[in-house]
Amino acid sequence: MRTHVAEPWIEAPLQTFVDDAGALFALLLHPNGQVMGQFGFTRAVDVMAACALAAAIHASAGELGRELDGKPFREMYHAGKNRQIFIGDVPTTRHRFVFLTVFDAESSLGLVRIYFQELCALLENAQPPALPQTPISAASLEQDLNRNLAILFGRAPRDSNGSESSISLA
Amino acid sequence: MSASPFDGILSLLIRQRGVLGCLVVGEADGIIVDSNVQVGIQANVVAALAAALYRKARLTSAAAGLSTIGFLQLEAEKGHICAIGRDGLVLVTLAEPRAHIGRIRGAMLESLSVLA
Repeated sequence: MRTHVAEPWIEAPLQTFVDDAGALFALLLHPNGQVMGQFGFTRAVDVMAACALAAAIHASAGELGRELDGKPFREMYHAGKNRQIFIGDVPTTRHRFVFLTVFDAESSLGLVRIYFQELCALLENAQPPALPQTPISAASLEQDLNRNLAILFGRAPRDSNGSESSISLA
Repeated sequence: MSASPFDGILSLLIRQRGVLGCLVVGEADGIIVDSNVQVGIQANVVAALAAALYRKARLTSAAAGLSTIGFLQLEAEKGHICAIGRDGLVLVTLAEPRAHIGRIRGAMLESLSVLA
């Protein structure tokens, strides 16, 4: 299974992580919940839900860290019965991402942390120049969220005239 | 601050000739519990990969009907990695090619009871 990405420069680092760490799922997203790349998911609705939850967890953990320690928590880990989840902050010089991965007993937290650091370095080296930021509105945010989901799952965005856009998530 | 229960075995191993470092690592998560390594060794990386290697070897041994692993030794061009495990912990030792593996093996096997 291959990774699916919204921007080509993300593909190689993400695929390297998945191959090396033996991850079951991987998700790279903006802190606002916009997906940038994924591995392992088969439905857009699952990616959308995972992105929303990961962004919320990341934001909550960040604030909790600031309250407790004066700085945001950068990594979080939860061990389930069969699967484990790791969420980390990916700070590059021009972009900021959140990374989520799910793995089982075939991998380990130690391995995931090693290859996560490698992923951060690969993304740092691969990133293109930053584009000028445009103000984010509710409409443009939804368009961006849906555009990347559509790219990942091989669907073109339904409209291009700026009206409310959505893709079928069924 | 109280001493780690693994201080004794790590001190014993690091004093052996040619030993570059020794670590007690969780087998399931690959995270260091305690370590004594020379400067320049990426202890976290070694710990995670060695724990994964030991786990795979243990599973392979069990699948092949060979029962538990007594002692795992990886011989590389520039040194050795030795590992033994018990109750979810793995004791890993890194050594130079000139190291006396027999002595290291003996010290590691003696230390096995501490891992329990």
